[in-house]
Amino acid sequence: MTDISPHDTGSLPSPNGDGGSGATGEFVQQWRNAAYNCFSSGHKFCREVCPVMQVTRNESWTPTAFHANVVAMEQGELQLTDIADDYVNCTGCGACELRCPNTLFTGDFYRFRTRTVDLVKAMRALAVDQGIHQPGWQRWNLLTDERSHEPVLGEVPVSQDHVRDWSQGLDIPVGGESILFVDCEAAFYRTSVPRAVAQILRRAGYEFGLMNEQWCCGGPAAEMGYLEQSQRFARHNLDDWRAGGVKRVLVLDPHDYITFTEDYPKYFGEEYDIEIVLVVELFAEMIADGRLAPSVPIERTITYHDPCRLNKRKGIWQAPRQILSAIPGLTFHDVDRVTQWSYCSGGGGGLPIEKPELTARISESRVDKAAQLGVDTLVSACPWSERPLSEAGDAKAIDVVDIHELLAESLGIEVGGRRGQ
Amino acid sequence: MSTYRYSEQYRPPEARQVTDVAIERFADIFEVDPKLMTAHVVQQVFPNWDTLRIVASRHDHLDWMHRHWAEKVVSGQRLLDELDD
Amino acid sequence: MTIAPALTEPVLDDLRQVVGGEHVLTDRAARFNRARVPAPFPVHRWSERVPDLVVLPGSTEEVSEVVRIANAHRIPIVPRDGGTGLTDGAVPLRHGIVVDVKRMNDIKEIDEVNRTCTVGTGINMLKLNEVLGRYGLIYPDDPASYPCSLVGGRIGTSGWSLIGSRYGHSRDLVLSFDFVLPTGRVIHVGDGAGRKLSKSSSGYQLKHLFMGHQGTLGIATEATLKLYPKPEAELSPFFAFPDYDSAYRAVGELARAGIATFAGAVLFDEWKVDYLRRDDEAYIPQPADVRALVCAVAYGYEDEVVAGGRRLMRIARDNGGRYLGDEVSEGDWAARHDRYATPLHGRTLAGQVIPMSWHCEDAAINYTNLPQVRLEWHEIVRRLRERFDMFDDWGMFAYTSADTGVDYLTEIDVGIWEQRLDDESWAAWVQAKKDIAEVALRYGGSISACHGSCREGEVDLVPQELGGGYDVMLDVKRALDPNNIMNPGKYGLDRAYEPEAGGAR
Repeated sequence: MTDISPHDTGSLPSPNGDGGSGATGEFVQQWRNAAYNCFSSGHKFCREVCPVMQVTRNESWTPTAFHANVVAMEQGELQLTDIADDYVNCTGCGACELRCPNTLFTGDFYRFRTRTVDLVKAMRALAVDQGIHQPGWQRWNLLTDERSHEPVLGEVPVSQDHVRDWSQGLDIPVGGESILFVDCEAAFYRTSVPRAVAQILRRAGYEFGLMNEQWCCGGPAAEMGYLEQSQRFARHNLDDWRAGGVKRVLVLDPHDYITFTEDYPKYFGEEYDIEIVLVVELFAEMIADGRLAPSVPIERTITYHDPCRLNKRKGIWQAPRQILSAIPGLTFHDVDRVTQWSYCSGGGGGLPIEKPELTARISESRVDKAAQLGVDTLVSACPWSERPLSEAGDAKAIDVVDIHELLAESLGIEVGGRRGQ
Repeated sequence: MSTYRYSEQYRPPEARQVTDVAIERFADIFEVDPKLMTAHVVQQVFPNWDTLRIVASRHDHLDWMHRHWAEKVVSGQRLLDELDD
Repeated sequence: MTIAPALTEPVLDDLRQVVGGEHVLTDRAARFNRARVPAPFPVHRWSERVPDLVVLPGSTEEVSEVVRIANAHRIPIVPRDGGTGLTDGAVPLRHGIVVDVKRMNDIKEIDEVNRTCTVGTGINMLKLNEVLGRYGLIYPDDPASYPCSLVGGRIGTSGWSLIGSRYGHSRDLVLSFDFVLPTGRVIHVGDGAGRKLSKSSSGYQLKHLFMGHQGTLGIATEATLKLYPKPEAELSPFFAFPDYDSAYRAVGELARAGIATFAGAVLFDEWKVDYLRRDDEAYIPQPADVRALVCAVAYGYEDEVVAGGRRLMRIARDNGGRYLGDEVSEGDWAARHDRYATPLHGRTLAGQVIPMSWHCEDAAINYTNLPQVRLEWHEIVRRLRERFDMFDDWGMFAYTSADTGVDYLTEIDVGIWEQRLDDESWAAWVQAKKDIAEVALRYGGSISACHGSCREGEVDLVPQELGGGYDVMLDVKRALDPNNIMNPGKYGLDRAYEPEAGGAR
């Protein structure tokens, strides 16, 4: 089940060892101090930034409740079966844990911060370990396991044979020191994104190849509680990189970036010697040093959606703005990164698989905020956000465009591919 | 641009003792003396990027809070200097 | 634990008819998570306070219907807004139905000309101000829970605001509201009949009665609020002093100066400065001769703030205050809009870090009595800490409540290690709370300036504090809530229903 050590959660065993026996008891012991650190403060500053809470107003589905439940488990008041379903209601956006004073004001001081995202993942993993499955997630991960990629096209199968189809006509070599890793959504659904990225890299003269046998990064499986599967996929990918002499992985998807910089280090420790480069940061650098010079004016009135995994979870918000500022013709109505801590597309954490209606409400709320700015285009930097945002954007006549697509266009590149189905 | 390398993330800079209860690893970022977190609550694994992310976010948040309440902030130092003129 | 006998399936069906099936929650987790506020309480007694079910109404009409059903069946009702209060108002003492108003968070109107807005009481002030900011307006109700507490809870507690010396507190800022009485009847409470009047002399002035009752008289559902122009400028200088007495003198002079843009002043005592030195990046490196702090805050147009600010700077300087610089001043003030305590600031006597809950006593004390109250309160906490290594003295603040410097929200912050709290230490804590409240009353103060005084310990002293006024409270309670369904057990109001309870004497 969970692979969390006391040093991940900040707990030493409690003197009386409450919380039940077996895996559940172990879980409670691991999380008790983290849980009390929320329970004891009762701040709830997380609440109004939580995307799920904002649209449901249901306190059972708040980060506070997710922590308090662990305290109640320790007290013997709640069982896993009482609460497992509640933990579906999280996109893993990280707003709560960043906005929590225990992170924002003192997390660095104590080297102890609120870790709601990890807690939710661990609780989901515990549920799976104990045989409590969410039907949508179980099926999704079963299909992912069968096909080594997520079933992002619904009934249309995805497979290893087609994972490089997006690159048709681009003649990208396989292998090399630097490889471009393309997440499942971009590889099969929004193929315009990896095509844009690959062609921009080529334009800048950056040498790269594709992975020999790319599997799903494993991150989504970990988010939905299928930890063993996640680790198995991660092991395959690392072994594949090693076998091919890969030193550097270029990542275009924020979710992959999290997986490669947070999950893989936990899985592999010192053994993990691969460099991870976020493409959006690389492009901002290439613009700054002149390797890329966007010159084709794009007459759009835009705002930028800070992907949660970049802005909230990684503090990456400047590079995308540097890119957008360099594209001529744009009228940019920016909303600052702190205001956007309470924004989310609803597309993360497996929520759209298990509760699509909730994802839709969250993305509608996000698009409404864009509409109030009077823009015609919402730019994102996360393929997983772009599907729900596009669906919500259709109703408001707001076009949802990926930042890499936009940059490619301004570089005069004919991107090709599909922006979804 | 910040390339992620495992080897760079898990070795924090050397600590300097600031007071009996606080140390400093990164410039102007104080931390509790780790020996105070050994009996009841232990410190978490904390990659360097996370410390720096939190500090930067805190500053951004505080700036945001000023803007939220007022259009601009008047410098107390300026007013104090004017008293001396 | 089972659902109360009164909550039979037909009653549940009625409630589902009213608010919709998905808004009636009966599962254990939903109930446990609405039995908790930040105020410390022994965790092993959590289940004593768990409601039988939770409803999430979406309108005044739905709230009214729910209350009508509860009243007909004599089922206790507990209103819950943000659940961020420090006096247990939102915690059920008799199980029953929690009416959680968070879904009622619409902005119904922004009236730019009359400078008001009308909102559902489930809205949070920060979120409201994000919208009002686009109109150049602000609703300046600013508690420490500013980013999470809700307008309805501010009404239920008659909240206190950090910048109340400039803009008034919740009672001044809330013009009027719709209110569901314990019978289900809906009335409109405010000055006169209009929704947007700030002053009327017609009839009894009921607004104060229906604010600060801790949910014992009913549920506010929609409120009309007073708005101000968003301030052009802010000034928040912090000053260091070598001793408490000089800081005390300075804060008094700052508050009495009568500066129009003055929004508040705060006095930090020696214990508070020691506490900040543990962990606050601004204070860790301060020299040892810094023993007390004062900050003063001003909001308004820039020219006004600059003119008033010069006076504030001169007063502080002439009283021996050393300005801490723009960075510390601005950073510290910005952090005070969302400053609850942080659990890991708790320490054992040996100095080890432990996750402590925050308890905050919040008496209203006149300026002249601050020094003595401070010493007696610290002594109470010192004795407690001596007996139980699970309490920690986190120091004291005194904040101006008014623009004249008459009285101060006087706060002692006490860390409590809830993981270890047992019946014996809890009983000792309850006694300490009573002792703390007794000191406040002995010095002519009030037990609570902002949180309310209905927690165990202090609540026993409320009849003493209010005297004949408490008897009127009993009469009002009985008259409005004949069946004692509205948040029963709070404020000792059960005695309104005892056979010997007479009228006001």
